[in-house]
Amino acid sequence: MSYVKSLQCKECQSEYELKPLTVCDNDFGPLEVAYDYEAMKGKVTRESIEAGPRSLWRYKDLLPIEGEPKAGLNSGFTPFIKADRLAAELGVKELYIKDDSANYPSYSYKDRVVAVALTKAIEFDFDTVGCASTGNLAHSVAAHAAAAGLRACVMIPHDLEEGKIVATLSFGPRMFKIKGNYDDVNRLCSQIADKYNWAIVNVNLRPYYTEGAKTHGFEIAEQMGWRLPKHTVSPVAGGTILPKIWKAYQEFITLGIVEDNKPKIYGAQADGCNPVVTALREDQELFHPQKPNTIAKSIAIGNPADGYYVIKVIKESGGFGESASDQEILDAVKLLGRTQGIFTEPAGGTTLACAIKLIQSGRIPRDESICVCITGNGLKTVEVMQGQFAANPTINAKMSEFDELVKQMEETHPSQSPATTA
Amino acid sequence: MAKITNKSWLTFEGGRQNEPCLWKMATRFPGVTFDIRQASVQKDIGIMAVLFEGEEDEVKAAHEFLKEQGVRVDPVEGGSNVAG
Repeated sequence: MSYVKSLQCKECQSEYELKPLTVCDNDFGPLEVAYDYEAMKGKVTRESIEAGPRSLWRYKDLLPIEGEPKAGLNSGFTPFIKADRLAAELGVKELYIKDDSANYPSYSYKDRVVAVALTKAIEFDFDTVGCASTGNLAHSVAAHAAAAGLRACVMIPHDLEEGKIVATLSFGPRMFKIKGNYDDVNRLCSQIADKYNWAIVNVNLRPYYTEGAKTHGFEIAEQMGWRLPKHTVSPVAGGTILPKIWKAYQEFITLGIVEDNKPKIYGAQADGCNPVVTALREDQELFHPQKPNTIAKSIAIGNPADGYYVIKVIKESGGFGESASDQEILDAVKLLGRTQGIFTEPAGGTTLACAIKLIQSGRIPRDESICVCITGNGLKTVEVMQGQFAANPTINAKMSEFDELVKQMEETHPSQSPATTA
Repeated sequence: MAKITNKSWLTFEGGRQNEPCLWKMATRFPGVTFDIRQASVQKDIGIMAVLFEGEEDEVKAAHEFLKEQGVRVDPVEGGSNVAG
């Protein structure tokens, strides 16, 4: 049984049928999926969710599909880690990492939104799917489309990281490299969606696609023992995930699944692309579009489609925004790796770097629960880490040379040296 | 040339929010009608959702004119999915 009621304009609340629609006729406001929460009460419960599959589809009742899921059957339900070593380093009491760098099949949070969007694409009888992407979305669309037997046409900025391009091409999509930045690609995709009968997941399937991001928030709540972190730090790119984590928290509160502990949510951006954070710092509701210039390419979106709603949600929650320099981002990537064994991409480094700055500035208290949302995997962006680590010398296969290196290591890194006696 | 409707977001920055850019456009392109569906203006930025209607080349020329005035013109995503 589906609890979906309609598509509804986020501005004027006009209702629309469940079709591949994106904007309201009246005011061009974005459409969002509306549900019948009253009908869910007593039926969508902790128990009903726990009885579901160990994937994002355990939250199927809160997702906008009509029948059974048709894509991403193994996506979601990623690790949720109590990051005690990182917490000790930062001097905070209770710190968690929601780790979508381990998402399946393409190692980013995008597997959530694509699982829902491609299920809808199949429900709507599209045979071609596509996207405007900073890399992770193209990777995910190509992977899910290959598995579902759909044709994929992905549009990306021409200067993306090579790892993301190669990984995406391995799934056999048609890739269009566009001269310009993501915002130029997205603008073109709006026109493509108008002209071709393709399911551009983040354009004409956007209301459904974005709902998949809620599962990141649902999982945080469930994996934390059916409670909400007091503070959640999320990256902000196009503005999809942050408002949807918030919607997930609010839906669980509405259904009585978790207690309302008045959670706060915070947005993280790179200094080189921080339109939302700038607006928050200036206490504005609208943001000025920017031209991105940052190593965090997966979140380098200067004109975020849902940026307005990110600002609105952050203000409503009592949270704030922060941005980080490229070096702070790289340092945070290394810190997460060194303390927790998680290798994230610069977007994840951005989120952690901003969380650290929010803690240091006192915006986030050190004695309350904090969740940092890691949304992508470092293996896809290894080139940005070049030169970030000390050189490791090559030696001959001789014990004397090895002993000499261990001796040097003991002098420079005493805590990391292995026992020297058998 | 066929008549078209076009849904766009206009962003006014750098003082453009205090200038009658749309009036100038209307006087230059009388065959292009515009209908403001939503607007929000702050101290240093203004955003409008506008429905344009007219001959395709005239609507395009009107957009170019607005860009020359310093107005950012972005298509509404999925704009053709709605009537008009």
